[in-house]
Amino acid sequence: MNIYEPQLATVTELVDETPDTRTLRLEFQDEAVRESFTFKAGQFGEYSVFGAGESTFCIASPPTRPGFIECSFKAVGKVTTALREVNVGDTVGFRGPYGNSFPVDDWKGKDVVFVAGGIGLAPVRCVIWNVLDRRDAFGDVTIIYGARSVDDLVYKRELEEWASRDDVRIVTTVDPGGETKGWTGEVGYVTPVVEKTAPAAANAVAVLCGPPIVVKLTLPVLAELGFADEAIFTTLENRMKCGLGKCGRCNIGPVYVCKDGPVFTAAQLKELPAEF
Amino acid sequence: MSDERFFISESDLRALAADLLGAGTEVIAPVAVDACASPAAMASSECLRPGMEPEHLEYRSLTDASQLDLGRGLPVLSLKGYFLPEHEALCRWKQKGTTIEIEAVPTEFAPRVVLAAKPCDSAALAVVDEVMNWDDKDELWNGRRAATTIINLACPVVDESCFCTAVGAAPDAVKGADGLLTPVKGGYVFEAATGKGGVLLEAHQARLSPVADALTEAADADNANARAHVAANLDIDAGSVRDWINTHFEDPLLASLAIRCNGCGACSSVCPTCHCFDIVDEEEGVGRGTRRRCWDTCQAPTFTLHASGHNPRDDQHSRYRQRINHKFSIYPLRFGEVLCTGCGRCTRVCHAGQDLVEILEAIDIAARRPAEVTP
Repeated sequence: MNIYEPQLATVTELVDETPDTRTLRLEFQDEAVRESFTFKAGQFGEYSVFGAGESTFCIASPPTRPGFIECSFKAVGKVTTALREVNVGDTVGFRGPYGNSFPVDDWKGKDVVFVAGGIGLAPVRCVIWNVLDRRDAFGDVTIIYGARSVDDLVYKRELEEWASRDDVRIVTTVDPGGETKGWTGEVGYVTPVVEKTAPAAANAVAVLCGPPIVVKLTLPVLAELGFADEAIFTTLENRMKCGLGKCGRCNIGPVYVCKDGPVFTAAQLKELPAEF
Repeated sequence: MSDERFFISESDLRALAADLLGAGTEVIAPVAVDACASPAAMASSECLRPGMEPEHLEYRSLTDASQLDLGRGLPVLSLKGYFLPEHEALCRWKQKGTTIEIEAVPTEFAPRVVLAAKPCDSAALAVVDEVMNWDDKDELWNGRRAATTIINLACPVVDESCFCTAVGAAPDAVKGADGLLTPVKGGYVFEAATGKGGVLLEAHQARLSPVADALTEAADADNANARAHVAANLDIDAGSVRDWINTHFEDPLLASLAIRCNGCGACSSVCPTCHCFDIVDEEEGVGRGTRRRCWDTCQAPTFTLHASGHNPRDDQHSRYRQRINHKFSIYPLRFGEVLCTGCGRCTRVCHAGQDLVEILEAIDIAARRPAEVTP
């Protein structure tokens, strides 16, 4: 088997999350692949537009919803700009799933706190649905999500859906100046909102994902709230080509993000050289 | 596998190459070529001087056995390109409307033989085998490896940039190879190292004869001399170097190695173990194209550049540290093999004078220094 040969998938749905962020739903064209494909929350893949190339993102849909996968991306590079151009019915390529995953099954019985900034909600969304689809297995679920502006909030329909549930506590925030007239959420950066929301750390895990600055600033706040480094999970991104531990570019010191990650605990992050 | 040693005369070795070619087997071997043939080389002073006809060696696919160069120099590029080509198709696609058809590329290859490979070049293939197979198997690499029988030619050591014995290889090693030729008076001592090598020897046994003890003794003495010669170039403890690098990421020595380096990446191209690659799509007309992998280098700023503009390795020092770290610490820690076979090509090719022998000596000194006197 040639590990670099992609599976073909049809775009069956697309959602414009923000002016520059889009979600695609993909269904594998090969029936056997469609039926046998499984993955774990937190794993990623190489998505491709033929002629533009491959790009790496997490699988943003949860493994508890088989039959399709979804990805959300911001159109910033060559491939994501091309992906932004595809329509429902078009064919794209996919290789994966690759990498490790969030140990969601180990969290049964615990409270789960999700903290995300911007497009960082994409990998977290997969875990949120993975938890909510088995809601009874977990304790309290808290979601703290921030973006630059109301326009930049991704998964707006789902944010509303989560807000309407009485078994989820959700706090949304936008950066100062990013609010609209009718905005009823918080105004402020994610980190102080986490501090203010102060989710309980006893018997809880935190899942944190966002721009490097959000991760960097929020880690000490979570520690202050009592979350142990082993109970804080995040997912890293680095430029990748193969996703298979061979092309040699995603390592942070001795750790390969594609094979040893992308999911790491805060304890593991502290062991890494400061080169990410 | 046989540990028997045979004698083969130089004319019989050429005849063996001719037999293989005659049977339709590709034979890859060092060939002397006009060093001024490439546009880049033509500008060099050597090529501009009247009357100069410099030659260099390259591993080439022979069209005639007479091309086989059994001199003992080092080909400019290693064997790497015969297993991980400079660029190769990973798949091809054709698009019609919204449908795409993928055309697979072959992962099985016709048998071929490499004659007179440098031991540092075959050893590199065995080292890179690890990363190509540690989880998902790279069948393009493996297919070419399986199809190829490699016979090394014991090396007399090229110059002061050679240091194979410091990184677990040797000038007469058969790591990654299937057999060994050691030059002796009138020909070569020829021995198989693997079953594949044994099959080759057996198929050509008419060209082999029993070897006199005096010749095997001479061969062993020459090889021992070569080992001692290269060992004098560099003496490091690769294990201490590995561990020191792993625990001294921020050490000023590691963080300032690239003073001379300008990031051209020539060291990666000539390196037999550098295997990092890029994957790109090339359109070849409307609705069709090739997804291709091509050699890449960790010395290029774009190697790790994120689409957002963030670059985890945004200066040449951090990129050069990555090169040293990957070769002498990251890879050995993960795979138990140093990602370097001491061929010295990176030092010879560097127009800015980055000298890996010098760098490894410096790291070795730091690694051996007792912790309490570390500044």
